[in-house]
Amino acid sequence: MAELKCVGTTVSRTDAIEKVTGYAEYIEDRFLGPLLYLKMKKSTVAHGKIKKLDITRALEYPGVKTVLTGKDYKNKIGLYLVDRDFIAIDKVRYWGEPVALVVAVSEKIAAEAVELIDVEYEELPGVFDPFEALKPDAPIIHEDLGSYEVVPIFYPQEGTNIANHFKLRKGDTEKGFAEADLIIEKEYYVPQMQHVPIETHKAAAHWSPDGKLTVWSTAQSPNVVRQLLAKSFELPMHKIRVISSYIGGGFGGKAGAGLEGLVVPVAQKFPGHVARIVLNREEDMQGTFTRQAMYATLKTGVKKNGKITALDYKMIWDGGAYTEYGVNIVRSAGYNSTGAYEIPNVKTDSYCVYTNNSIGGPVRGFGMCEMQWGIERHMEYIAKELNLDPLEVRLLNGMKVGSTTAAGQVVEDVDFKKCIETVADQIKWGKKEPTSNGKLRGKGISGLVKCPAQPSNASSSAIIRINEDGTAHIMIGATEMGQGMLTVMSQIASEILHIPVDKIDIKVPDTDFTPYEWQSVGSRITYTCGTSVKRAAEDALGQIYTAAADLLQVPKEDLTFDGKKIYSTKDADKKATIAEVADSCKKCTGEGIAGPIIGRGSFIPSNMTNLDPETGQGNPGMFYCFGATGAEVEVDPETGVVTVLQLASSIDAGKAVNPQLCKCQLHGGTIMGLSTALYEEVKFDKGIMLNRNFTDYKISSIDNTPHIDSFIIETPETKGPFGARGIGEQPMIGVAPAIANAVCDALGVEFNTFPLTPERVWRALQEKK
Amino acid sequence: MPECVKISFTVNGENETREAEVGQTLLSFIRDELHLTGTKSGCEIGECGACTVLLNGKPVNSCLVLAVELDGKDLITIEGISKDGKLDKIQQSFIDHAAFQCGYCTPGMIISTKALLERKANPTDEDINEALSGNLCRCGAYQEIRAAVKDAAKK
Amino acid sequence: MLAYEYVKCNNLQEALQLLQSDEMVYPLAGGTDLIVGMRGGKFAPKKLLDIKNLDDLKVLTEDEQGITLGAAVTLNDIAEFAPVKTSIPILAEGCRSVGSYMIRNRATLAGNICNASPAADTSAPLYCLNAIVNIAGPEGDRTVPANEFFTGPGKNALKKGELVRSVIVPKPYPSGNGVYFKASRTGSVDLATVGVAVQSWGNKVMIAIGAVAPTPVRASSVEKAINENGEKDWAKAAALVRNDISPITDLRGSREYRYHVVEVLVRRGLEQTMGV
Repeated sequence: MAELKCVGTTVSRTDAIEKVTGYAEYIEDRFLGPLLYLKMKKSTVAHGKIKKLDITRALEYPGVKTVLTGKDYKNKIGLYLVDRDFIAIDKVRYWGEPVALVVAVSEKIAAEAVELIDVEYEELPGVFDPFEALKPDAPIIHEDLGSYEVVPIFYPQEGTNIANHFKLRKGDTEKGFAEADLIIEKEYYVPQMQHVPIETHKAAAHWSPDGKLTVWSTAQSPNVVRQLLAKSFELPMHKIRVISSYIGGGFGGKAGAGLEGLVVPVAQKFPGHVARIVLNREEDMQGTFTRQAMYATLKTGVKKNGKITALDYKMIWDGGAYTEYGVNIVRSAGYNSTGAYEIPNVKTDSYCVYTNNSIGGPVRGFGMCEMQWGIERHMEYIAKELNLDPLEVRLLNGMKVGSTTAAGQVVEDVDFKKCIETVADQIKWGKKEPTSNGKLRGKGISGLVKCPAQPSNASSSAIIRINEDGTAHIMIGATEMGQGMLTVMSQIASEILHIPVDKIDIKVPDTDFTPYEWQSVGSRITYTCGTSVKRAAEDALGQIYTAAADLLQVPKEDLTFDGKKIYSTKDADKKATIAEVADSCKKCTGEGIAGPIIGRGSFIPSNMTNLDPETGQGNPGMFYCFGATGAEVEVDPETGVVTVLQLASSIDAGKAVNPQLCKCQLHGGTIMGLSTALYEEVKFDKGIMLNRNFTDYKISSIDNTPHIDSFIIETPETKGPFGARGIGEQPMIGVAPAIANAVCDALGVEFNTFPLTPERVWRALQEKK
Repeated sequence: MPECVKISFTVNGENETREAEVGQTLLSFIRDELHLTGTKSGCEIGECGACTVLLNGKPVNSCLVLAVELDGKDLITIEGISKDGKLDKIQQSFIDHAAFQCGYCTPGMIISTKALLERKANPTDEDINEALSGNLCRCGAYQEIRAAVKDAAKK
Repeated sequence: MLAYEYVKCNNLQEALQLLQSDEMVYPLAGGTDLIVGMRGGKFAPKKLLDIKNLDDLKVLTEDEQGITLGAAVTLNDIAEFAPVKTSIPILAEGCRSVGSYMIRNRATLAGNICNASPAADTSAPLYCLNAIVNIAGPEGDRTVPANEFFTGPGKNALKKGELVRSVIVPKPYPSGNGVYFKASRTGSVDLATVGVAVQSWGNKVMIAIGAVAPTPVRASSVEKAINENGEKDWAKAAALVRNDISPITDLRGSREYRYHVVEVLVRRGLEQTMGV
């Protein structure tokens, strides 16, 4: 490959000046037009029938324009399983579920009117953990489960609380266990956590008298929003316009659609107004996607040398009240259920179970943080039982080029060994550090892997327009939520077109103008949208050369472009400026040669297949991104306080399109992992989320975040743009296990759950005594 | 009927006189009345720092100040940090170090940094911790922010 | 919902008069507890009296009596006040433990103790300094020792129409070192799971603890063992603290953990202040 000039270099973020000056537009910064404010009346029971719902007093309150209830929404919504009502109809399934929506001329009036709505519930027995929900006599949360529309790769079981059962059978586990020298079985539990982006969820809608719907949203995926709204409200897509803004943090929580549907009927009822809903922090925490809790039993057969011969992994997930998205996390965890390791015989059963807890859904990692917690803690048990080095056990079983995953997919372009040895070296693995001040020190490591969780045909596209002066516009459907997508796409286009990044304009999507993008999730955009942008740039370049070849009367193959002029490599005098070519290119005698240069590119994966419904075998991964985490901790055994002394993170990015931004993402994911390792746990009491604000849901701050040593490994992804793959989620996955492994090393206790709060650590020490 | 009070203050160096609703927070006043949307709302209870502004030169959570309390005071928001279209050295340093990702906490983070560097020209790590521990960044740009603050201090 | 009448007081007498009203009237200083409470529906004042401008309440001085901390003085200003830093640094530590730097630019010491959370970070240090709360009222001024000012969770000793004027830390100041240990979930901006203040007064010690009872408490059993019975085995002395506290289990910690970590922190406090 020719030496790269832009890809692989650090350029300043293209959204930098807007963000440091406060002028960056987020959704709430740009509403124009007469506003209508929406406030939800929320259920005060977790499971119940709505016996009485009286909105009369609210309707009469001055300033209230209308009050909507469930029957004002004709259809349900759901990305994978259509199980969710916008507003509860007849029944509520989680505490805080909306039962009515007040529309008023001010936020204050709307909030006051909410208090005037009278609701009576017939409380039904609630189910708050999936084991209760699985009992044969458990109350059924979705009585009509059998009639819900479902994407046929998910298997809800009518008459039960099972929303999906993903099955995977690879090889022969009976044989595998028989071959083993030792069998180890443990249980693991990962609690719910919440994304808590600093910007909460918001949406607004406007209906014009000619029937055009405009929606503003914090959604990560405007095209999916458009698609789901088209379906739920029976509108043609060209009459729905979804406008993105900068997103103040997504982390998966703003994937799919939800709030947008609430505002649509309001907009339709009041044409010309902008109906807007803004969730406050408490509503955001308890009313939007929460990471599903995982209860798992993991059994492995191992040889004396540490080689794993068989794995039996049973995962039961608390899907919450609606599992329209959660069913896929359960599947994704299932088909990746060996983590970064190759195991020949695998039996996995992954269940998504309804409960009356908050709605489960996508969170960074999409099941990997939870499932690989089990795997990476289990590797420690294996090492301990066999008296082996945990690093050696990981290297022995670690995937290499040609390894097969749990789903039987062959991985290529992988160097897991390098990832894990890098972090092990960094934290000086094997060297026991002395204790001091009564504190105990320990080291831990973890591998990690993830492929984008997406349908096998999830596609992307891009359009590049070359302006008459040789500057360019990129149009894509991907959203910018901090990951630096805008900058990276600009760099990819710049590399091909030789137009400098600061001469390229790129914006967040507006579905009336920007082309299709499935979703900005799954760590896929650099790969899929990046390839689309590269192809669009190549297409534009091809058009430039075609026009220039005609203009200059030279063969196309002889031409090259330096960003300003196109010239023949064989005769430098045969040249034209980009303006001459892009500005309605014409011959010197006047005849037009070529119209405007509009480059087009799209991408659809061709290496993913369906999975066998009985065995889960197939190719679910578009690419696999490996990495590793290493941690050294110091623990105060008297108070249980864990201090992280060293944190090393490696990610195999394939090619860091922007090394600085790649490191930012690596640090960011590592810090989110750190925060979950030590602090984060959603607490429920009979479905009521107890810690739904920052006073009692704590996340990492600058003063308790250690320095992170980060390593970008570059094993090129053959099919990725310039060898790149996506890395947004991966850095988070290995952190909680690495830290827990380090704490276990320091204290000689074992943890099968986290966060490792001071109290939890202290209790483990007490039990040890 | 909410009571309105006339208040006079300066905002980003400019004199203003406006009507403030008694029940309104300073945050809401800044965004909805002054239309300065750089200051963000993240929690409304003074925990996240996204709403940080300088009130008489001191960094405060504007969600916990009433709009009427602005009377007679000087307010600086993120829009007032760059002067005559030129970026402040802190802003440039944040850009150079990529000390932000989604950008939502960034105005508050820069305001807190501005106040810190005015109090302490050469802040230690401890000083930075104290000044910024109330500005949450969920994207996890802390390492870059620390580097940017130290770099800005040197300039 | 937020209040609908705001009054900026010009003098203390005016404030005291307005506080006599039958309506729900609250003084507004920093507002960092009050406004959170108003948003959450915990407080519903009809009137807010802004007392930040009252000269009487802005006093921050040291004289031969001791250090006077006016009710409208912010926690940051107190923590930075030279006499506090020099003579009673345990109070600076307590002040700096409250919230974030931004919160402390608004929050006041008086507000912290009037809000009367049993976990208030300034409370345990004030107990160990024999601090006195100086109250202005319709019948004139009166004083209440800090360790009698908290009367229950969220309850203080103020009568109707009264206002804290200042908190006074009297001389003599402690001769030895003092420490304030705050156990929390994150070690960063957080409420105290428990707060332990240990202040050496030469060969005697004062110990106070927050978040372990309906009000902050003195560790009387520990103090007695050391001050009266000459106990020098700090572990043995610290173990007695279980008699002085009655923690509960809540979101921030369990009863058992609180019992345990208080004992650890009391012992460490003694080791650090009373000599190993």
